[in-house]
Amino acid sequence: MTAASDPLVRVENLKVWFKIRSGLIIDRHVGDIRAVDDVSFDIIRGETLGLVGESGCGKTTVGRTLVRLYEPTDGSVFFDGEDISHLSQRELRPLRRRMQMVFQDPYSSLNPRQSVGNIIGEPMRVHSSATGGDVDGAVRHLLDVVGLPRSAYSRYPHEFSGGQRQRIGLARSLALNPDLIIADEPVSALDVSIQAQIINLLEDLQDEFHLTFLFIAHDLAVVRHISDRIAVMYLGKIVEIAPSDDLYASPLHPYTIGLLSAIPIPDPAVERGRERIILTGDLPSPASPPSGCRFHTRCPFRQPHRCDTEVPELRVLGDGHAVACHFAEEIKAGAIRPHEVQPEPL
Amino acid sequence: MALLSVRDLEVRFVTRRATVHAVNGVSFDLEPGETLGIVGESGCGKSVTSLAMLGILPKPAGRVTGGSVVFQDRDLLKLPDSELRKVRGRDIAMIFQDPMTSLNPVLTVGRQLTEALTAHLSMDKKEAVKQAGELLDRVGIPAAATRLNDYPHQFSGGMRQRVMIAMAISCRPKVLIADEPTTALDVTIQAQILDVLSTLVREEGMALILITHDLGVVAGVCRRTNVMYAGRFVETGSTDELYARPRHPYTLGLLKSVPRLDAARRERLEPIAGAPPSNMHEATGCPFAPRCVYATQESRERMPELRPIDRHDHLVACWNPVPDADLPEHEIVAAEWEPR
Amino acid sequence: MSIAEAEAQELQLEQPAGLWRDALDRFRHNPAAMAGLVVLILLILVALFAPLLARFGPNQQVGPLTTDPAGPGGEFWFGLDRQGKDLYSRLIYGTRLSLLVGLVSVAVGLSLGLVLGAVSGYLGGWIDNLIMRVMDVMLSIPGLLLAIGLITVLGRGLFQIMLAVGIVNVPIFARLLRSGILSQRESDYVTAARSLGAPGRRLLLVHILPNSLAPVIVQATLAMATAIIDVAGLSFLGLGPADPGLPEWGRILAENASRLESGSHLVFFPGFAIVISVLSINLIGDGLRESLDPKLRA
Repeated sequence: MTAASDPLVRVENLKVWFKIRSGLIIDRHVGDIRAVDDVSFDIIRGETLGLVGESGCGKTTVGRTLVRLYEPTDGSVFFDGEDISHLSQRELRPLRRRMQMVFQDPYSSLNPRQSVGNIIGEPMRVHSSATGGDVDGAVRHLLDVVGLPRSAYSRYPHEFSGGQRQRIGLARSLALNPDLIIADEPVSALDVSIQAQIINLLEDLQDEFHLTFLFIAHDLAVVRHISDRIAVMYLGKIVEIAPSDDLYASPLHPYTIGLLSAIPIPDPAVERGRERIILTGDLPSPASPPSGCRFHTRCPFRQPHRCDTEVPELRVLGDGHAVACHFAEEIKAGAIRPHEVQPEPL
Repeated sequence: MALLSVRDLEVRFVTRRATVHAVNGVSFDLEPGETLGIVGESGCGKSVTSLAMLGILPKPAGRVTGGSVVFQDRDLLKLPDSELRKVRGRDIAMIFQDPMTSLNPVLTVGRQLTEALTAHLSMDKKEAVKQAGELLDRVGIPAAATRLNDYPHQFSGGMRQRVMIAMAISCRPKVLIADEPTTALDVTIQAQILDVLSTLVREEGMALILITHDLGVVAGVCRRTNVMYAGRFVETGSTDELYARPRHPYTLGLLKSVPRLDAARRERLEPIAGAPPSNMHEATGCPFAPRCVYATQESRERMPELRPIDRHDHLVACWNPVPDADLPEHEIVAAEWEPR
Repeated sequence: MSIAEAEAQELQLEQPAGLWRDALDRFRHNPAAMAGLVVLILLILVALFAPLLARFGPNQQVGPLTTDPAGPGGEFWFGLDRQGKDLYSRLIYGTRLSLLVGLVSVAVGLSLGLVLGAVSGYLGGWIDNLIMRVMDVMLSIPGLLLAIGLITVLGRGLFQIMLAVGIVNVPIFARLLRSGILSQRESDYVTAARSLGAPGRRLLLVHILPNSLAPVIVQATLAMATAIIDVAGLSFLGLGPADPGLPEWGRILAENASRLESGSHLVFFPGFAIVISVLSINLIGDGLRESLDPKLRA
């Protein structure tokens, strides 16, 4: 994993703001939801990059902007060296074959009135990449690949369980042999025992088809398992990027520390012995983010100066480990201790 | 003397098309102040169990077809609704997963709180308002007194859940049932809510039944755990015991299929093959047999009953419990369980 | 056994069933809806085979002109009217008119309403605003009054009346379809199709429309019933089809309603015919609503 090898995806200073309109007769632009606010990262060929964060952090928006479902407000997205940020929808079409999405909700991501065969064959029909009998053959092969019975071909989504529907969605995303798959919370809506099946399937598919994954989720344990590197987002910004083991072994950003601390571990003895840092307060609204470092209102390591005035840059602190915090080194060295934070009344 | 005693509870959902056997013979005791977890995946019947206990199953499809729920010497299943209403909210309270639909959106939070107080405890209005403010404060809502006049939609998800908890404990119930209370919340908010819940349960000496699918949540909050599958308890015991020595293949399977943050990254997860049963038919053999690597002919033909294994209070319903060799590697912590 | 094999076994147990077929099944098991359907089919058959079923022509004079027409009896099963025509035969031929009215008005309303609703819902923006405001204006005028207004402009021919009643339905269909489209437009499956580069036309025709049509279908059946009532109402007001010979049920009822003492059969039988038709269509409409509702699926 060298930074020098050209990445499959490069995102530079990406901003995606949604206008808030309000008004009696004519809607006026009264503000912006800064869903993604100056985000930069690479996705290296063949890797799985995990994108993790809680509500309103912007991870889903990032994923959807990569496939141009949302338009970037500013910044650039490069795919395989080509700047795709300003291509028209028509110019984008051939590129869409190379990047596909898998969605969270198995109950709403499949057209209830299309048969499974039609759903999986749709990408091929849209791109006219195969016709008639070839499509059928390809679809049946894909059903095998994802572990669904061939009889599923003529059935409808409502006849399948959540886990099976996710497999259908996966088969659909593979139909055009993409390079990149953006998986937006692909297992969050599934039962625990089914999650593991789908995660294993994703890993197998990655090996077999040489896929690159952007794995978006809020469950850090799952993300850590499947990802090579992880980017942690908070309120529209990336606060930390690191290889998966490093992130858990030595988290540098106070938010990451708080996040890891909050995740329950299925082991009562461990749970009892943990020193918990419980973050107080609620997630601020992306429409009016705090000044300076976005996390300073909840940060247990906040310092009286800089934190509320200066936006921290994402700085590389170790091998592949970058963090956006003014005091990351001091926190790591133990020079700053966590203190109690009073939650602000809304 | 157990506070709450459930014996052989059976619940069916009857529709024109099919009958779903949601709960098939569930029994457990709840001691005063005990924290009990009921853990299982969707469709296992854990939520239905609690709804049945309080007599709030969705009608007309849902009906209790057997068993008893004895609370303070009375079988709740046999009480008329007028009597049950006095128990609900006052002695046994419940909080749900989605606070937005369980709170009335057109009444202020203060009004909803005071209503519960005046109805159950016959408090006068002024006293009730004061109590309501104190309750909100106790659950950690900042500037509690001023927020009494706010409506539910003016609170964030985590705050609304706190309001629900405040309402639930307002009459100082003996039992609190929490049905997936944090599933819809972000993980940092979840930690806050679980913290509030654990503290309150301890301070009030309430018994808690925590229903969830999250093995980590149960590990942190509950002293005892029941694992549920296809409408039955397949394993029960102290949480420590269950996680250290999961004797039922389903429990073991659950633990092995969840990636653990503190363990080394394994090469592959070990999922449980197949999917949970649809519960549309009465099961003859063990309902987990089709997915079980230890299953034998007997498993498919005869229903196993809960029997003690390892310790008198560790029960497992299995003909072929997990052998020692397959148990996960752990240090068994013998220390007395302490609340956080 | 692999997961796929286990799941294949489970699927074997059920027949493949698209949502439409599933809805059909549920409809078939709804006794009220089936009763309505049977009656409607009978009415359609009556309309088709009217010349065979009627005993005389609709305007054939078989009795005297009188202010006290004969009631049911003998040759004249429903009695005679004041012009000496056989009521039974008139009503049989009238079935054609009523069904035609229902069909044509709904066809007019649907075709215009669907187009407007689809354009509005899918394109949004100022077009949506403009179309919806026009629809709002139309909806603020009570249906019958609007129909009357249109008739004064278009004339009182049978076809013009059907057109007028049909146009009254347009805003209802437009709004229904628009709201269906709006709710489906943001669904994940539509987003999925967009993300693979499906063009707008495909999104609308293959994905959004089929999933937005259910409430429109229900409304279309109910609109048939209201169309029949509306035309009957117009006849009551003296604004029905101008041709006096047309055996339209509402006209027959209206002409004789004020003279109940001497010819109650002339009010009862047409009234009964209207009620039966409207009721059967409403039962079908309710049945459709229940069977198409995804939430009620077991």
